[in-house]
Amino acid sequence: MKRFFSTALARGLAWQLIGTLVGAGLVTGLRALMGLSITDKFFFTEPAWVLGAFFGVLFFLAGNGSVTDWFKWARGIDTPEHHADHYSGWEKYLNVSLDHKVIGIQYTVTALALISIGGLFALIFRTELAQSQLQFLTVDMKLFGQNGPQLYNTLMSLHGMIMIVSILLGVAGIMNYVVPLMLGAQDMAFPRLNAFSFWIAVPAAVLLLMSLVLGGFGTGWTGYPPLSARAPVGVQMFFLGVISAGWSSILGALNVIATVIRMRAKGMTAFRMPIFVWAAVATSIIALTATQLIGLSFQLVMFQRLFGMGFFDPAKGGNPVLFQHLFWFYSHPAVYVFILPGLGVISELLPVFARKPLFGYRWIAMSSMGIALVGFLVWAHHMFTSGMNEYLRVPFMYSTLLVAIPTGVKFFSWVATIWKGKLTYPTPMLFVLGGIVVFLLGGLTGPPNAAISVDLHLHDTYFIVGHFHDTIFGGFVFPFFAALYYWFPKATGRRMNETLGKIHFWLMTPSFFVLTFGMMQIGLLGMRRRIVDYDPALGFDSTHLVLTIAGYLIGLSVLIFIYNFFNSIKNGEKAEGNVWNSRSPEWQVPSPMPVHNYDQPFEVVGEPYDYGLPGSKYVEFSSPAKSKHK
Amino acid sequence: MSHTQDKSAALRQGVLIFVYLAALTALEYFVAVTFKAVSILVIVAMIKAALVMYYYMHIYKLNAESEDDEHSYEYKTGTNRLGLWLFLLSDSFVFAGLMTTRINLLGLTRPPLNQLLGLAVTAVLLLSSFFMNRGETAMAHGDKKSFMNNTLVTFVLGLGFLLGVVLVEWRLAAEEGLIASFGNPAAGPMGAVFYMMTGMHALHVFTGLIFLFVVWNNARKDLYSAEKHWGVEAATVYWHFVDLVWIFFYPALYLIGRLV
Amino acid sequence: MRHFVIVGILVIVMAILTYVGLDVAGVATQMHPIQASLQSVSIDWMWNWEIIAIAFLFALIIVPMAYSMIVFRRKKGDTSEGEHFEGNTPLEIVWTVLPLFAVLVLGYMGAYSLGEIRRVDPNAITIKVKAQQFAWTFEYPEYGIVSNELHLPVDQQVVLKMESSDVIHSFWVPEFRVKQDVVPGRVTEYRITPILVGAYKVRCAELCGASHAYMENGVIVDTKADYDAWIAEQQAIAAANQTPEGQGKLLTVKNGCLGCHSIDGTKMTGPTWLGLFGSTVELADGTSVLADEAFISESILDPKAGEVAGFSPTTMPPYTLTEAEIANIIAYIKTLK
Repeated sequence: MKRFFSTALARGLAWQLIGTLVGAGLVTGLRALMGLSITDKFFFTEPAWVLGAFFGVLFFLAGNGSVTDWFKWARGIDTPEHHADHYSGWEKYLNVSLDHKVIGIQYTVTALALISIGGLFALIFRTELAQSQLQFLTVDMKLFGQNGPQLYNTLMSLHGMIMIVSILLGVAGIMNYVVPLMLGAQDMAFPRLNAFSFWIAVPAAVLLLMSLVLGGFGTGWTGYPPLSARAPVGVQMFFLGVISAGWSSILGALNVIATVIRMRAKGMTAFRMPIFVWAAVATSIIALTATQLIGLSFQLVMFQRLFGMGFFDPAKGGNPVLFQHLFWFYSHPAVYVFILPGLGVISELLPVFARKPLFGYRWIAMSSMGIALVGFLVWAHHMFTSGMNEYLRVPFMYSTLLVAIPTGVKFFSWVATIWKGKLTYPTPMLFVLGGIVVFLLGGLTGPPNAAISVDLHLHDTYFIVGHFHDTIFGGFVFPFFAALYYWFPKATGRRMNETLGKIHFWLMTPSFFVLTFGMMQIGLLGMRRRIVDYDPALGFDSTHLVLTIAGYLIGLSVLIFIYNFFNSIKNGEKAEGNVWNSRSPEWQVPSPMPVHNYDQPFEVVGEPYDYGLPGSKYVEFSSPAKSKHK
Repeated sequence: MSHTQDKSAALRQGVLIFVYLAALTALEYFVAVTFKAVSILVIVAMIKAALVMYYYMHIYKLNAESEDDEHSYEYKTGTNRLGLWLFLLSDSFVFAGLMTTRINLLGLTRPPLNQLLGLAVTAVLLLSSFFMNRGETAMAHGDKKSFMNNTLVTFVLGLGFLLGVVLVEWRLAAEEGLIASFGNPAAGPMGAVFYMMTGMHALHVFTGLIFLFVVWNNARKDLYSAEKHWGVEAATVYWHFVDLVWIFFYPALYLIGRLV
Repeated sequence: MRHFVIVGILVIVMAILTYVGLDVAGVATQMHPIQASLQSVSIDWMWNWEIIAIAFLFALIIVPMAYSMIVFRRKKGDTSEGEHFEGNTPLEIVWTVLPLFAVLVLGYMGAYSLGEIRRVDPNAITIKVKAQQFAWTFEYPEYGIVSNELHLPVDQQVVLKMESSDVIHSFWVPEFRVKQDVVPGRVTEYRITPILVGAYKVRCAELCGASHAYMENGVIVDTKADYDAWIAEQQAIAAANQTPEGQGKLLTVKNGCLGCHSIDGTKMTGPTWLGLFGSTVELADGTSVLADEAFISESILDPKAGEVAGFSPTTMPPYTLTEAEIANIIAYIKTLK
């Protein structure tokens, strides 16, 4: 226990608390001097909570050691380039490490934690929604200063944002673990930046959860003003939490791009990189740039609340629709950040389990870039009913439909990859194939939303909710699980249990189909989004009950996965070699992965996916005598 | 102009670029005052930006021939350089978002600001970039003393810009009726946009000053040489970026649009 | 070759089955629910074509996938690898260009359908709509009527000019299909031609606060005769309602009070007005107070001052009404015994 309290995690959290009190105290003191009020509904005033929360994040990072080296450099003190991990076992993961493999696992475990929290919130409100009329989230009940419907609005909003952050962290986890290994690099280009990018996500998550106890914020994860300008102080925690998480995403993306450009092995030309690296680059280009816009849009609302700056306040000449443009300019490309890595995992794993080359490698690589590019041009399809310029909607309809083309290239290529293969179905492959089918459903229900006239009916209904759950599960969740089952042996030297894996898959997948079909059906019939209750006369009760049961089954399947994941670390079947018989470089060395990755460097001498071509090699390791590594 | 020049040639080039930038700024002001052609102002800003990015920020170094040995200082500096430019690319999206906000909320109107003061602070910032360039050139040729002196001048000018905007310009604007609000219902988007744009820019000037101090201090401790001075290059490029943003913000706030 | 033929046939069969299945489920030729507006016809037409495309594309991917998963499964004891082919450029071009063509066609159809639903009838009648937390109010300026129920004549284009007094709301009647946000600071337009007489509901479709789920009002599509009769009736009521009670009732309609307060005892977002006046009200802070003129007046002007137990924290905004207006409202509330 004592060792836990001395970890960077515990220290960081303690410093976050101190920082919050210091910041809030500072503002409170200043306000007292200025003769302004110093207390409010949740003890401190809103400006005090905002500075407190901001300081909390800074103190967390300074206090847990994430920025120590940089401060030393500023003072002119040199530090060793690579820090060996002082800790072993679970402690390693609760402390600051510069090893991308450790950081990748830290990201992944944090993502799983957030998935569980976000999922728990969903189960709470799904239980309420199972029947029409309010059962327990009633107007009479009160928790954290919110009545039932207000609490529902907060839980529903947090479900969205916590899941989004969990996706960003999950994506970062896979990219961080896998990309340097695939490139033949010893680590990422900027290991300290890498550690910082992970650690800032922790106080970010704390802020998001804090919003719950500071009156909630009930605006949906989209935080539109004027509603967010009037929301309780919890909304400021939400804004700051998202901004902090956004920095994690931006800096992580910067690292990936620099690593891919500068740290590839000899002979690894652009089109001889593993396909996942292309996906990582496309993802990172988006995350590096667009993320700043959600930060800006939230910052403007924060300042509107704090200082009365009327950006989106019509009474002051502001424009509520401007917020939506700024917000969606990130938030649409963001969904491609969510799914491009997962689609990259699918492309990466299919050849291994079909024992055939990836069909049309260059086209698939370019399709990731194409999706990223076109993804920047479609944002206003979230705003067709907003009151935006009528005619401007039409080009956005065309650009939205256009995204289907590079996406189609992927689907057709995947089919062509498994065609005439020799297929086996271990758990990773099940999740890859399941991901393709689920993503197909999500992708096919996109074009109806793209057609403006049809979208006028579908917008803000459960049809949309079904659509994006399909795309997110197909593009991220399923491939995420596939990646974890697949690379688990590489990280631990053991396999996850196959039987439990299959149970996870067969419990999750049918439940998920039922969930999203059901959502789309009632959405078409008139079930709006973001409502705590619905009219029994609409006849949705039985479907909602089914949706809730499906939700619980999905939750159960995730619990089974989590048990399997942690149990297999110690008790899994040993798997120290190339369990999947993959050509990828990381599988040519024993598992678990050595600390410095490759003791001998490798050179790329062939194509990555030449399965079925006798005598072909992808990488060749130089002999020990020629090794240049220290 | 060759990229590997001797010191005096490099210094002469720095002066020449500054003269071009100053002339373009004067042209900008003249165009804004006389015939208010928005397109010309945009083009002039883009030319100034190109000059700063190429000659002062030496963006072409991203494409430089790199050492084979990825453990060498040169190679690592190249990676650091790429990282810095990626960061600036990301940061520029914030300023682009602010510009979009200004265009959407203010359109072809502009806030009532003191033109002479605006021209003055712009000149000060431009001059600071000139001295920054001189300082970096000095360090690239191993002249620590000259580097420190020029960086000190840059710092003072940068501080002058910061104080000029925050202490003088903001106060004058508030007296002119341009308020952020603090509860005042008369405040509109004009004030909000002005303070947010200049405020975010000022934040970057402030952090730039911190970086300048850090490298000045580390130079004082003899930590840099002609061959190894990545910190200096990073602070320099960041400082010029701050100037680059102002190249667009200055006409957007002071020159384009009619007074309401 | 044999594989391609089998797959080809199965794709066509599957596409047809999928489309038929979706139609049987009621989501192809028509979206649910019933078509009650002219615009819904065009929207459902577009939707139907989308479903055809979806059915085909679904089959096009699922069938070869399922086929491969079965036919190309590794047989026990077989240790060979799959067939080695890396790509096929003509095929890539085909499956880039054909979808591009399909996209352009769908885009054109979408634009066409949008044009159809935005077609302007110069004889459209104008009705003003006010959205607020948490009720809709409808005003017929040329008749001097205000109502909490939207009445529309069938087969007549109507233009709703919509304004919000607080946050973003959205006007939606699923049977009409069209949805339009109501944005504070501007007037947004909703153009609709009802074609089916009936009683519908407009429910707010943009999250607007704690009672967003309950923000609904009635939409009645009448025959022209019934519509005219309703107008006349409302005008008569308005004329007759020159009494303080009548004026008070009109004010409660205009200000959307009935979106949160019932007059028949139903518990809604706010306390019911039935039997309110003269009763003893328990406040959130534990004290009790008499619901007299002073109490009701304060509740309107400053709702946070005396929050009622069971209805706190209050979401009611303050209303700036004159003394006379408040007196009229109180007179009306007094009649609700």
